[in-house]
Amino acid sequence: MSADIHSVAPEVVVEFLSGIMPFDELDDEVLHEVARHVRVDFFPKGTRLFTAGVTDPTHLYLIQRGGVKSFLTDDEGEVTLKDYRGEGSYIGALPIIRGTKANLDIEMVEDTFCFLLPREVFLDLINRQPGFAQYYLKSFSEKIVNTAYTELRRHRMTRRGDEEMYLFTMQVGDIIKATPRKIASNASIQESARAMADYRIGSLLIYDPADDENIVGIITDRDLRNKVIAAGLDYKESVSRIMTIDVATVLSKSTCFDALLKMMSTGIHHLAVERKGRIIGIVTSHDIMLLQGTSPYSLFKEIGKQRRIQGLYPLSQKIPDIIRNLIKEGAKAGNIARMISLLNDQILERMLTLLEEELGPPPVDYCWLLLGSEGRREQTFKTDQDNAIIYVDPKDDAEAKVAHEYFSTFADKAIDHLVNCGYPLCPGEIMARNPKWCQPVSVWKDYFANWIGTPDPEELLHVTIFFDFRSGFGKSALADDLRKYLNELSSRQEIYLLHLARECMGVRAPLSFFKSFIVNKDGEHRNKLDIKTKGLTPFVNFARVLALKYGVRETNTLSRLHVLSEEGHISEELWASAHEAYEMQMQLRLLHQLAQIEEGTLPDNYIDPAQLSDLEKKMLKESFEVVERLHGVLKTLFAAG
Amino acid sequence: MSLRDIFFSFRKPHPALEKNRELFNDFSQGGLLTDYHFVVFDTELTGLNKRKDEIISIGAVRIVNLQIELSQTFHCYVRPKNIDPNEATLVHRITPEQLRHAPSIEEVLPEFLDFCGDALLVGHFVSIDMYFLNKASRKALGGMVSNPSVDTMRLARGFKEGQCIDHFGGCDQSESFNLDDLSEEFNLPRFKPHDALEDALQTAYLFLFLAKKLKHGGIRTLKELYLAGRILGLMGRG
Repeated sequence: MSADIHSVAPEVVVEFLSGIMPFDELDDEVLHEVARHVRVDFFPKGTRLFTAGVTDPTHLYLIQRGGVKSFLTDDEGEVTLKDYRGEGSYIGALPIIRGTKANLDIEMVEDTFCFLLPREVFLDLINRQPGFAQYYLKSFSEKIVNTAYTELRRHRMTRRGDEEMYLFTMQVGDIIKATPRKIASNASIQESARAMADYRIGSLLIYDPADDENIVGIITDRDLRNKVIAAGLDYKESVSRIMTIDVATVLSKSTCFDALLKMMSTGIHHLAVERKGRIIGIVTSHDIMLLQGTSPYSLFKEIGKQRRIQGLYPLSQKIPDIIRNLIKEGAKAGNIARMISLLNDQILERMLTLLEEELGPPPVDYCWLLLGSEGRREQTFKTDQDNAIIYVDPKDDAEAKVAHEYFSTFADKAIDHLVNCGYPLCPGEIMARNPKWCQPVSVWKDYFANWIGTPDPEELLHVTIFFDFRSGFGKSALADDLRKYLNELSSRQEIYLLHLARECMGVRAPLSFFKSFIVNKDGEHRNKLDIKTKGLTPFVNFARVLALKYGVRETNTLSRLHVLSEEGHISEELWASAHEAYEMQMQLRLLHQLAQIEEGTLPDNYIDPAQLSDLEKKMLKESFEVVERLHGVLKTLFAAG
Repeated sequence: MSLRDIFFSFRKPHPALEKNRELFNDFSQGGLLTDYHFVVFDTELTGLNKRKDEIISIGAVRIVNLQIELSQTFHCYVRPKNIDPNEATLVHRITPEQLRHAPSIEEVLPEFLDFCGDALLVGHFVSIDMYFLNKASRKALGGMVSNPSVDTMRLARGFKEGQCIDHFGGCDQSESFNLDDLSEEFNLPRFKPHDALEDALQTAYLFLFLAKKLKHGGIRTLKELYLAGRILGLMGRG
């Protein structure tokens, strides 16, 4: 018969399905049969498709065009964004397979067309196609954990296991045990120790006898050992004599990851957990380590315990693995960069400590400076070394000679060790072993005075990395002093800032990127976008110029922007947009580099726009628009010059 | 009513047409959009000369519950009467061979009407398609089809007017309303143009988009849809 009516499998669906996992594994016949059951629906932007715990999904939704976000709203109305899903992604597989209501809230973030596959047809595939079930189970592992986690939160109980990603999803308030154990500050040391023994705990909060909600201090096992037994203090003394008065706190809704970062950066291992101004418990590094198998924290501790420099080599090689895990667990780029800095700093600190033991104490105080991205705490996977040494001005020629010799040897050895740890040499020789960059305070001040006083646009680009210095090891007061000097200098030198601002604006945001592809036109990276110079650098430069102008001491780009916003130099709204845009680009770069490392190629910054999803393109485009706004701020500020 | 009676008295219509008329005896606009069936269709023609040109292919897809039923499609070629098949294939991706072996419009129309059933017909600039469909139907079946029609071009106009009035208080009339440009503008999934079925699918996506975006999603009944497209007076009966 002539007319080609009814149930032919529509080609558009077959074509779509054969391009996405796991449907691409189906044989042709099955694929066509499945396609026959598919319908198309359209959901305008803003449509709520699923409500967690309420919606009973009747179909598997496959996004043909558009994008959705998934999120969770907790009992207190607080919203946690889970992820964005774009074209080719599915919605509803997990609740269909488990036979439950929707586990997440789903809302369209763009006008979205979906292919709808009836629940029964999907379940039939799950049952009959072995690869099928496996695919979904694998990609669920994270989602299942998240679901388990929300159920857990609802029931207010703790559970342990191999759930590595708890570090990022679990809030501190969820892992604390029972109510906080505490004792009045007029109790004796012995009474306190007995309470700790009875409760089998390693720390005890101390409250004001007049108000047991008012926490005035904390004691730990270590205090009993160091301040009582070792010091021969009378056990009858008041516990207030040995308590630590400033109780470090963490908000109950902080993630365990945040708590861990705080512990690692402050060296305090017992944090009081605060909710609505009340202390509701204590979280310790041990509690968090129990959540975390191969944790950044255990590596951190292991580094600190090394007695030989050579012992650091293999440990530093573990850092990329840790980063990889963090990315896979869904950590934010900003957090990852901070974690990388902490671990690298720990390696450096241990290495230079051991090196000092080997060479004997330095003749004068010094500070090991970290420059560029290390200085800004923005490293990704292994980045080149950028470092320098600043030391106290020697009082005479003899001391100058000794200092010069000591620090040359010291720097030579340190740089070699760093290379062995996997930090490549700086091709521009901006390293402490270069005599030019191993100098006393007065010389460093001259350097900066020169760069600022008689700015040479050519040179400017090469020296910007020096402006992001921070203390890596040694007497940090030397770095602080230099920073203070620099800020005073630069706020007086408008002409220099003007040059710097011009350099900033020289990098055009690739706004028309998606239409005409402002990407590299030739060479190896043809048609690729250099996310570092085109995307991230404008933010870094902007933050640096304004930080210098307003004397902000921070070096980290996001911290600089945050301070600038808090001090009212940029609007809160611009800070929020810039924060989001910068973090998004860092994330994109990390994922790109991770993929390269897993493929066995060297990580670079060249992103292929063709490989981005529509949603990623959209977000990237929006972040480029923020760059235009930053340039607008610079134009206004430096218009007069 | 009166028009229909005139045609009714003119000649005894084909049974397919009689059935088609019965389906719309008590048609009402008051129901929910999700309760109606729509058949989105497109015809390819030998040309646009109303007197001598004719249909050479029909493509259609059904919409139920405001979802596109991709497996319920209609697609067929029609052997033209007046024109050498070799001449009619300039714009279309149809070979003369396909046309020579295609059934005649007399064979195709009853099948198409059967496929349409009680659905409303949807098309882009639907009055042209309706003209040629009715012209053929009058000749072949002895009367016009009764299915009311909806024009996505008018809906698009209504949508865009609503949009610019919201934002600027005025409206640029110079914009293009052809199917291709609208699909691009609204970022719809794309189909290959100049194939009746693909164009029908493209129009179906456009229809879905407009039905749900008009009045910020506030359209619930068919009547509201007509009002929003400002096409009350043009509700198609031919």
